[in-house]
Amino acid sequence: MEHIYQYSWIIPFVTLPVPMLIGAGLLLFPAATKKLRRMWAFPSVFLLSIVMIFSIDLSIQQINSSFIYQYIWSWTINNDFSLEFGHLIDPLTSILSVLITTVGILVLFYSDNYMSHDQGYLRFFAYMSFFTTSMLGLVTSSNLIQIYIFWELVGVCSYLLIGFWFTRPIASNACQKAFVTNRVGDFGLLLGILGLYWITGSFEFRDLFKIFNNLIYNNQVNFLFVTLCAVLLFSGAIAKSAQFPLHVWLPDAMEGPTPISALIHAATMVAAGIFLVARLFPLFVIIPFIMNLIALIGIITVFLGATLALAQKDIKRSLAYSTMSQLGYMMLALGMGSYRAALFHLITHAYSKALLFLGSGSIIHSMEAILGYSPDKSQNMVLMGGLTKHIPITKTAFLLGTLSLCGIPPFACFWSKDEILNDSWLYSPIFAIIACFTAGLTAFYMFRVYLLTFDGHFNAHFQSYSGKKNSSFYSISLWGKEGSKMLNKNLRLLALLTMNNKERASFFWKNTYQIDGNVRNMTWPFITIQNFNTKRIFSYPHESDNTMLFPMLILVLFTLFIGAIGIPFNQFNQEGMLLDIDILSKLLTPSLNLLHQNPENSVDWYEFVTNATFSASIAFFGIFIASFLYKPVYSSLQNLNFFNSFAKKGPKRILWDKIINVIYNWSSNRGYIDAFYAISFIGGIRKLAELIHFFDKQIIDGTPNGVGVTSFFVGEGIKNVGSGRISFYLLFYLFYALIFLLIYYSVYKFII
Amino acid sequence: MNSFPWLTIFVVLPISGGSLIFLFPHRGNKVIKWYTIFICIFELLLMTYAFSYYFQLDDPLIQLTEDYKWIQFFDFYWRLGIDGFSLGPILLTGFITTLATLAARPITRDSRLFHFLMLAMYSGQIGLFSSQDLLLFFIMWELELIPVYLLLSMWGGKKRLYSATKFILYTAGGSVFLLMGALGIALYGSNEPRFHFETSANQSYPVALEIFFYIGFLIAFAVKSPIIPLHTWLPDTHGEAHYSTCMLLAGILLKMGAYGLVRINMELLPHAHSIFSPWLIIVGVMQIIYAASTSPGQRNLKKRIAYSSVSHMGFIIIGICSISDMGLNGAILQIISHGFIGAALFFLAGTGYDRIRRVYLDEMGGMATSMPKIFTTFSILSLASLALPGMSGFFAELIVFFGIITGQKYLLMSKILITFVMAVGMILTPIYLLSMLRQMFYGYKLFNAPNSYFFDSGPRELFVSISILLPVIGIGFYPDFVFSLSVDRVEAILSNYFYR
Repeated sequence: MEHIYQYSWIIPFVTLPVPMLIGAGLLLFPAATKKLRRMWAFPSVFLLSIVMIFSIDLSIQQINSSFIYQYIWSWTINNDFSLEFGHLIDPLTSILSVLITTVGILVLFYSDNYMSHDQGYLRFFAYMSFFTTSMLGLVTSSNLIQIYIFWELVGVCSYLLIGFWFTRPIASNACQKAFVTNRVGDFGLLLGILGLYWITGSFEFRDLFKIFNNLIYNNQVNFLFVTLCAVLLFSGAIAKSAQFPLHVWLPDAMEGPTPISALIHAATMVAAGIFLVARLFPLFVIIPFIMNLIALIGIITVFLGATLALAQKDIKRSLAYSTMSQLGYMMLALGMGSYRAALFHLITHAYSKALLFLGSGSIIHSMEAILGYSPDKSQNMVLMGGLTKHIPITKTAFLLGTLSLCGIPPFACFWSKDEILNDSWLYSPIFAIIACFTAGLTAFYMFRVYLLTFDGHFNAHFQSYSGKKNSSFYSISLWGKEGSKMLNKNLRLLALLTMNNKERASFFWKNTYQIDGNVRNMTWPFITIQNFNTKRIFSYPHESDNTMLFPMLILVLFTLFIGAIGIPFNQFNQEGMLLDIDILSKLLTPSLNLLHQNPENSVDWYEFVTNATFSASIAFFGIFIASFLYKPVYSSLQNLNFFNSFAKKGPKRILWDKIINVIYNWSSNRGYIDAFYAISFIGGIRKLAELIHFFDKQIIDGTPNGVGVTSFFVGEGIKNVGSGRISFYLLFYLFYALIFLLIYYSVYKFII
Repeated sequence: MNSFPWLTIFVVLPISGGSLIFLFPHRGNKVIKWYTIFICIFELLLMTYAFSYYFQLDDPLIQLTEDYKWIQFFDFYWRLGIDGFSLGPILLTGFITTLATLAARPITRDSRLFHFLMLAMYSGQIGLFSSQDLLLFFIMWELELIPVYLLLSMWGGKKRLYSATKFILYTAGGSVFLLMGALGIALYGSNEPRFHFETSANQSYPVALEIFFYIGFLIAFAVKSPIIPLHTWLPDTHGEAHYSTCMLLAGILLKMGAYGLVRINMELLPHAHSIFSPWLIIVGVMQIIYAASTSPGQRNLKKRIAYSSVSHMGFIIIGICSISDMGLNGAILQIISHGFIGAALFFLAGTGYDRIRRVYLDEMGGMATSMPKIFTTFSILSLASLALPGMSGFFAELIVFFGIITGQKYLLMSKILITFVMAVGMILTPIYLLSMLRQMFYGYKLFNAPNSYFFDSGPRELFVSISILLPVIGIGFYPDFVFSLSVDRVEAILSNYFYR
């Protein structure tokens, strides 16, 4: 058993060779590396599955005997200061590493097909493997500096992957926004780490907690300073987990490829903030104010995310806001002190949301064939609808994910969300009311997404009515190079994507109805539909390949059964005592639970059933409202604006319309927060830059230039003076002699 | 130890080898280029060999000393010697100069003179970093100005004469103060001028006089380093110079200021340094913020990178003035790390310019598809410059932060303020670097030029950027590479401040 722990330092580094090799290969031997294309996917999946087996083994060990293993190497040796590099295996680490590796493998598998036509296929796999490396490094790190290092590295992976399709201007803006917003959080994190180091003189978690406890116990610290440090540390988590003031990057991050949204921006990286707070939980617990702040930020995010998700048109964006809201639940749970519930929700949400994102990726993949390669169209839910007929498997998977996220009983998220809601009643009724209301909202918007996507008629033919003339860059081509050709010769568009497999390009666009196994590939070149609006043949989306469906099915299994790790099964042991044996509680030391001071009677079935009924009924209510509003009226045009369906209802409809309009505007303008940031911060920085540039140029640089110019003129003047004419000199001589005489005379007179 | 004059050879070899260039028959530029590269590499290998065999890392004293009387009546010696602190910059000089000559291969106009000047600079820089004598230091300081002036005024861009004049006026103006300070120190308290570093280091002066000397040296080094408000020659110079010259300027020349600040101001004038350092820290913090917020307003790509250099120099100043073990170590690490990163960024900007012939960022765009390799290396180095962990810049800045935190000189409130403002610079840096990347590479923009096809970087350019990238990543993973050189020496320098 020991030896497993001994080798656990290898966890983050197993997948590192893949990005290194691909990167070196792409730089040095691009042609040869690109030829090997699919071959590269294999080692990355293989290595990641080794890590998965390893971490599952570790977590089984952890379940059997919960003990913390730490191993440290010294990294830099300075006289009074040494940085260390180590790894720490404890329940939190093992849970997260299992989570990361399982979702990671499924997403890798999925993206093999999803990205197969992309020019950046290899780059994608390199980034993904690098991401898993740094994320695993983050969860196994044993001190704060290491956390910071990997924290930044996952941020950079996220930056690179959001900007993966760098020819899109929107993507390039989004990735910069994500990085800078995260950097604001990192700024806080670094300052917090430095502050803690200043207080305790240590980075190691366990030493840190010990010293800190002693200091607090002996009342030797300045509470203001400590609170400041804790708030700064927490701000790192705020940025990474997209909590309220710094959440703006997450919806924009959906510009990245969909597998990335599933892995990084739903399941793992955004959970890093939760992980950080959970890791520093013993620290935050002894500073009571900070716990309230965490809970407050959590509840604000829960509510904000849910309201913003209400009227999004883009399927991925609404999922992103839902992610934000769910992360808010976890933060809320941490702030309330129910550590276990937060981690439970982290796990269940990760699987359900990964499922939903992969499902939406499958939908987008099918829609792209019809609508063209533009996120405005292929991700637009207004243009979807009635997909049940065309992509049944995806539909089932998506429905299960939706039900889970809404909190419908047998599914995963129900168990965790129910726990959080229960705990919130114990914490504060106001928070609990908001949380419950938001649970209803969650059900509402998730079913809105589901109904708009899968119910009713297929609306893609109405894209010309959607009001937006799409003349943006996307419609040209993804990688741009061939775009100019296309503008000249419309029919050359089959060469748009430089596919590896040349034969695919030989299909002609009229063959869309040819039904065989290759439909997916064949329809791919439809990227510039609007050139053909007049003679287009209506086509319907098709189900994705098995490679994409398989990971979704696995995730469905997870969504169905992962809740079991947190469900308390009552069993009687030999002495006849009630024993609480759910796996999660076994993993997580009960000492961290603040709210349940006495774990023996935490399982009260009656209470549990009433609470569960309550939360489930809220969810059902939300679903009911959603289906009431979005059940297709079989007039597809009315589906476009959701408040149109109210046109003929009731006398109070003006007020109702107003309310809905307000909500609609609030949501579609992203709560006006982005606009506010754009005006205040971005504009402010631009103005400042211009101002300082002006100052630099005119004043600081102007001074020496002015001196130079002045000296030039003085020199010219003197040159003129000394021009070499004798008469001029004589004149000067006489002039000065005269002045001298005058002065002499007047002074002489004055003295006498 | 051995008496073989290694350092003299290192100083004399490039310039004497360079003067042989003029004797070459006129047979094309190729011979000259290969010859220059050969000399650079030979020198670098020789240095590496000599240092690895004859230099003890754990000895904080001056090593490989040489002492020859040069001018009899003046008491002027040819004194050379290196310690752990100057070892890093010397090796950096060798490395960057070799790569710069490799980067300068496209230059065809008057290549004899060009390569001679490069080699002359090489000598001047190594002489500066290894001199143990104030007057020799000054002579070397001046020696390397002239090649830069000529390189700038002959091979520069459109406004090259303006920038070259500005450069020479600024730096020569600074040198006056350097000479004044040097003579002042040498002549104080004795009839015979004494320029030796060691004797001057053990001398103590009246405080007012020390402050006076300190200001003189500070002005000289502040021009070179640069410290605001004396920085404006830098963007102009970097904006106009050819990129191989830029590599030398950003990689080595700027470091001379920081080196002098430690070598002379810190070692010789400790009292004045501890009086001045709080103010210098404030200047350094302002510099970080000021340059980082000027940078987004620049349209010119090279000027933007130049302002980023100015901003990074702020960390060096703070590290030097924190008067703590870690701070000084961090400053040295930053000297090395910025030497690599700055040089590489200028190199890449220059190669990009060679292809698209545009300097303004808002005219560029969408270059990533046509030049993926330049895009990759440029992104990696920009990330390194914004202190991404795993690269050397991160470590340098982190250790400077620790230096401020652990330094015993400052009060809690001021420490908090300083770190806070420094960390704001950490937010501003990605803003201008990433938006630079975005404007250059991201997006999709057809050039107006009919032939919008560019060659990606060839093997030579790739070699240069990768060979800079490797040490950057290496130091980022294992910073002891640099720390092991300087730790003991830093302790020795700082002992002056605590045991007096």
